[in-house]
Amino acid sequence: MTIAVCIKWVNYSGPVESDTPDERFAGFSFADQAALEWALRIAENSSDEVLVLTAGPVGAEAVLRDALSRGAHRAVRIDIDLTSDSSVIARNLVGAMSQPRMVWCGDYSNDRGSGSVPSFIAADLNIDQALGLVALELPENANASFAAVRRLDGGRREQLLISGSAVLSVEGSTVRLRRASLKNTMSASKQEIQVITATGGRMDTPALRPYRPRPRVTLAPIGLTALERVKHITDTSSSKGHGETVHAEPSAAATLILESLRKWGYLP
Amino acid sequence: MTDADIIVVGAGPAGSCAAIAAARSGKRVVLIERGPFPGSKNMYGGVIYPRILDELIPHWFETAPIQRWVVRRSTMVLSDTGALNIDYRSNAWGQAPYNGATAYRPDFDNWLAQQAVAAGADLICSTTVTGLLRDDQGRVCGVSTDRPDGDLTASVVIACDGVNSFLAKQAGLYPTADADNYTLGVKETLSLSKHIIDERFGVRDNQGVDIEILGGTSGVNGGGFIYTNLDTIAVGVVLKLSKLSAQKKRPEDIIAELKRHPAIAPLVEGGQVVEYSAHLIPEAGLEMMPKMVADGLLIAGDAAALCLAAGIWLEGVNFAMASGMYAGQSASAAINANNVSANSLKSYTDRLNKTFVLQDHKKLRKIPHLVLSDRIQHKYPAFVTGVVERMFRVDNPTPKPGVRRIVSQERKKAGIKLSELVRDALTGLKGFG
Ligand SMILES: Cc1cc2nc3c(=O)[nH]c(=O)nc-3n(C[C@H](O)[C@H](O)[C@H](O)COP(=O)(O)OP(=O)(O)OC[C@H]3O[C@@H](n4cnc5c(N)ncnc54)[C@H](O)[C@@H]3O)c2cc1C
Repeated sequence: MTIAVCIKWVNYSGPVESDTPDERFAGFSFADQAALEWALRIAENSSDEVLVLTAGPVGAEAVLRDALSRGAHRAVRIDIDLTSDSSVIARNLVGAMSQPRMVWCGDYSNDRGSGSVPSFIAADLNIDQALGLVALELPENANASFAAVRRLDGGRREQLLISGSAVLSVEGSTVRLRRASLKNTMSASKQEIQVITATGGRMDTPALRPYRPRPRVTLAPIGLTALERVKHITDTSSSKGHGETVHAEPSAAATLILESLRKWGYLP
Repeated sequence: MTDADIIVVGAGPAGSCAAIAAARSGKRVVLIERGPFPGSKNMYGGVIYPRILDELIPHWFETAPIQRWVVRRSTMVLSDTGALNIDYRSNAWGQAPYNGATAYRPDFDNWLAQQAVAAGADLICSTTVTGLLRDDQGRVCGVSTDRPDGDLTASVVIACDGVNSFLAKQAGLYPTADADNYTLGVKETLSLSKHIIDERFGVRDNQGVDIEILGGTSGVNGGGFIYTNLDTIAVGVVLKLSKLSAQKKRPEDIIAELKRHPAIAPLVEGGQVVEYSAHLIPEAGLEMMPKMVADGLLIAGDAAALCLAAGIWLEGVNFAMASGMYAGQSASAAINANNVSANSLKSYTDRLNKTFVLQDHKKLRKIPHLVLSDRIQHKYPAFVTGVVERMFRVDNPTPKPGVRRIVSQERKKAGIKLSELVRDALTGLKGFG
């Protein structure tokens, strides 16, 4: 079966759509490199083939050749405008995979994009996702389930047992990508890369926007001179009415805190 | 069958030209570079004299990534407070066939290596050659690299791995290394707007300036330079290694001191340092050159100490390109003749001897050591600027002194004996031909 690895080519040298992108300043992230290494390790212990995919202009083929030189079996480039919506990119990547056993991605790209492509891939393939993995323990048997640790917000960690098809995204620190052999490096420059022209539209997603507290009305500062008005706004020695010490039972204190936050505009 | 006909080590100017010449003659060429791309690890002052490319890449000036075409060349002699500047300008140098050009090495070397790829060479980057492979008769037959499964065989290896060439040393072609033969080149690239550079240096459009400096190196034997790019300038010093280490001075302090000199400060004022780099220069020319040919092996460019560092001339890139090209041609001729022994590859050194590469070095053989000698370095700048200062100073009501008297007085003040002056003048005259 196929183990797919999605890597993002990022070029800092100027317009990415340029016909002759400057490959000197292009590459793929440590996280994408780690994803490729995990896929290669699993494939080594199985009969799976590693398919490496990237979306972008012709210059992006450099990272595919790099991946081929490290041991990937096949490479596909989706010819697409890199400013396309993440869901469009994900849908096109999925279209080129045909029933992968696993999809590996990096947790971040070199241009620190939204990181949403792996989720869209999981949604489109309708398989599980385990994103932001910081540690993995691969089993001897490539088909067995394996343990992984996922990073959560606030420094917390989640232990996972991964089995079956899944989209996995990993951090760059999890593993170091192997060095390509000299012979592979030489042959990769001549290996064929399949090019697929992008099609299709966005996936339907609920509209979400980041939470912002509602604006708080503040009275104009009082004072005859500009200096007095500035002092009124900035002077920390005078009370603004927020500094209050309350002695209360925990439940009453909680209610009071919520009421105050609501009054000050931090809660709806 | 070997993996390649010719392996070229190092995609600097020498390596890329060797690869172009060899690939053009139909050979299977692998060009190996340790940096992530050609030029990524390379630095120099900033001026290339690329006319040698006329032979290899006709109309090179239409595609080469040039910053400015040099139309002004100056030589400055600095004393502690004074400066004598000899300046020549020719706007004709700003048009084809051109003379010198400023260029960034990561751009120029990369462009040159791409010409080798276009000619059919395989370029392998991020790969360090770690040694030479030899057959059972001791002939060089390939290289080992730092990659897994990293041995590669070939009929001829051309070592263009730059100054301090480990491959030439490993092949036993270098006599013992002597720190006196090397200088340390150190450079700051300063960002300034194009408009300011144009105004300060009296140039327009893509016209550029090359200034070589004697003195201003804080008492360490060496020299300095200033070159203009489009929106940066390069300011640097070249320092005799043994003196630098004996005097325990820091190169960046010496550049800072040079930038504070009253003649230099107005040129560099307001420039933001965007790059600091350093590199060795094989300074001693013919005095330090290794054997350049062995069975299955040729050495070109800085690896063969072919850089010409002779006072007003600091030319290495053109010598590297020419020697690389000749090495590529000789290697392929030897393969065609089915004989890659040192004797057959000797056509390379014959070619160097017949062209500017070794002829210039032979002519200027004594100049590198003369220019870096203690007397020229520590006594002549004060002497020369002292003479000029007295000639241009008007001390009325005292009448003008005679030039001969000024020269004699300033010579004595600088502590130079007449016999030394005569000897240096003769060596200079003889040396500069
Ligand atoms: C401060 C300074 C100022 C200079 N100013 C000028 C100037 O203005 N004009 C001028 O013409 N010259 C100048 N030179 C000299 C000029 O830079 C050199 O003469 C020239 O670069 C020599 O070219 P090359 O190809 O022989 O070597 P390099 O340019 O040194 O190239 C050697 C290449 O080999 C690669 N390499 C080395 N070892 C290995 C290995 N083991 N495996 C794989 N790859 C390897 C390196 O990465 C590099 O790309 C200056 C030098 C310095 C240091």
